Amino acid sequence: MTNGSAEYLLFASDLHKTYPDGKVHALNGITLGVREAEYIAITGPSGCGKSTLLNLLGVLDRPDSGEVFFRNEPLSKSRDLDRFRARQIGFVFQSFFLLPALTARENVQVPMFEGPPLSGREREKKADSLLELVGMGGRATHRPMQLSVGERQRVALARALANDPILLLADEPTGNLDSENASRVLDLLNLLQRERHLAMIVVTHSSEVAERADRIVRMKDGRVIDDGVMLAGSAATRI
Amino acid sequence: MYFSSFILKNLTRRPIRTSLTVLGLAVAVGSMIALLGISDNVERGVTDSFERRGVDLVAMEKGKPNQTDSDIDEKIVERVLQIEGIESVDVALAGLIDVTRGSGATIPALSFGWPPSNGGFKDLKILQGRKLEAGDVAKAMLGFNIASHLKMNVGDQVVLQGEPFEVIGVFESFTVFENGAVITLLDEAQRLASRPNRISGFSVRVKKSTGDLAAKVEDVRLKIEALKDSDGRPTRIAAQTVRDYVDDSSHIKILRALVWMVSVIAIAISIISMLNTMVMAVLERTQEIGILRAIGWTRARIIKMILGESILIGLAAGVIGTIGALVATHTLAASPRVSGFIEPGVSFRVILQGFALTALIGILGGAYPAFRAARLLPTEAIRHD
Repeated sequence: MTNGSAEYLLFASDLHKTYPDGKVHALNGITLGVREAEYIAITGPSGCGKSTLLNLLGVLDRPDSGEVFFRNEPLSKSRDLDRFRARQIGFVFQSFFLLPALTARENVQVPMFEGPPLSGREREKKADSLLELVGMGGRATHRPMQLSVGERQRVALARALANDPILLLADEPTGNLDSENASRVLDLLNLLQRERHLAMIVVTHSSEVAERADRIVRMKDGRVIDDGVMLAGSAATRI
Repeated sequence: MYFSSFILKNLTRRPIRTSLTVLGLAVAVGSMIALLGISDNVERGVTDSFERRGVDLVAMEKGKPNQTDSDIDEKIVERVLQIEGIESVDVALAGLIDVTRGSGATIPALSFGWPPSNGGFKDLKILQGRKLEAGDVAKAMLGFNIASHLKMNVGDQVVLQGEPFEVIGVFESFTVFENGAVITLLDEAQRLASRPNRISGFSVRVKKSTGDLAAKVEDVRLKIEALKDSDGRPTRIAAQTVRDYVDDSSHIKILRALVWMVSVIAIAISIISMLNTMVMAVLERTQEIGILRAIGWTRARIIKMILGESILIGLAAGVIGTIGALVATHTLAASPRVSGFIEPGVSFRVILQGFALTALIGILGGAYPAFRAARLLPTEAIRHD
């Protein structure tokens, strides 16, 4: 590929995004490559386009122009983006977004309906092991309202891993947590990323979060103003 | 966790709204099932009263909507019996009669005047007393339903059109109309109705020898309709097969039309009610639907979820409505005013029809909200508050 996407797990090429009113250029020509098992932090002031970029990388939204490649394949040509999102990507949100009527164990199973075929019993077993992994094994039957915010984010993390994704996208994962819980969640993210060889992109305002990443991408006004690495062919220069 | 239990949890998290929707639909669906059941039972009762007696043709005055309005000279039967291929003919004078209860109140009841030779007597199971015989004057037999409502037994006096009659037998028939009816001998019925030598109609059995029975029945039918009276004028008799007779009966036609009109209104109200509930459910859960889409749920699965919820509400309403319809028809059939006209219970076919309609209500009421939910963009839905 001439755009240099071949060496990346995920490669965003010259992404542009304008919101429907046509006045806000959320992204203004973003090019970004993500390698397998790479941990990237995206930082920048509010409104700089971080979350928009995350949404485009996670195919929650489509760019006005530009392309996102996954393993060198353009996603705009993919017929089944839902399936791609369900099986290759795990999402972690700032507000956790757990379903209030379901227990922790059931919440973790929700993405599995779109994952590889499993029986009800197998789904339950897998959910239990993921809850164990995030240290929530003892709280499987609790509903979100019965959990602390830190615990909720850990359940959300278990849910993000439900279909064994290769890429984890997190939007301000510690934004609603106190420092102690934030630190625990970050430790967990680091551990999971290493053990599961996950590529991970974390959008954050927090320097503590950013410092744990392999690479920090700084954004302003819809552009990357500082990428921790030279793209397209040259050797990676980690910050 | 199974997908079905996920759907169930979505419904149980708003128990009051779900219950009220189910209850509202159950009333609509229950009324529909009860009315369809009553109409079906009436139709079956009429059909049974002829078909189970081996009747091939039913004859009555042409242009009259029902047996009770029909008026034929009984002499015509002698000529009918001369038609080749006829095995037997049973005549009757059917009508509505005032029956006075012990309290002095009168209730309307079906009455049949049968000659002693009427084949129908053979099918009556005598519970008390005996059957009517030639020469019985001012004597009547009561179907067990009307006997029970009038609290009368053999030997009691029943007042018909203001005249006392002795109850000489209580019987059970396979048709609900006869169980709620009073039977007297034909000449007594003619006297009470002030219609001497007149009958309301007759039923014909065609000889069942070898050959095409349908063709023979048609041949006899045409010959009956072609009969002339003693002055050579047309007799104006319409002979029909049992199926045609039931389909042409104006009472049954009106009943069917009313039932379907009420059913269509009930279905329309149910669909609107379901739409309202499901649109509300989708609006309230916009953010949640966005999250489900974000974590990979397909549009098809969102549609399945919302349609699953609406169909489940519909089926729950179907179960409650069916129970309600069974209770309602039994209660109605136990009422003295209608006991001779309505058979309790609802046939399995009608219950299946009811469930098919509830599924339809679920699908139609859930379709728009489901597609609306599926069209939501995950990023916008997640931002929705």
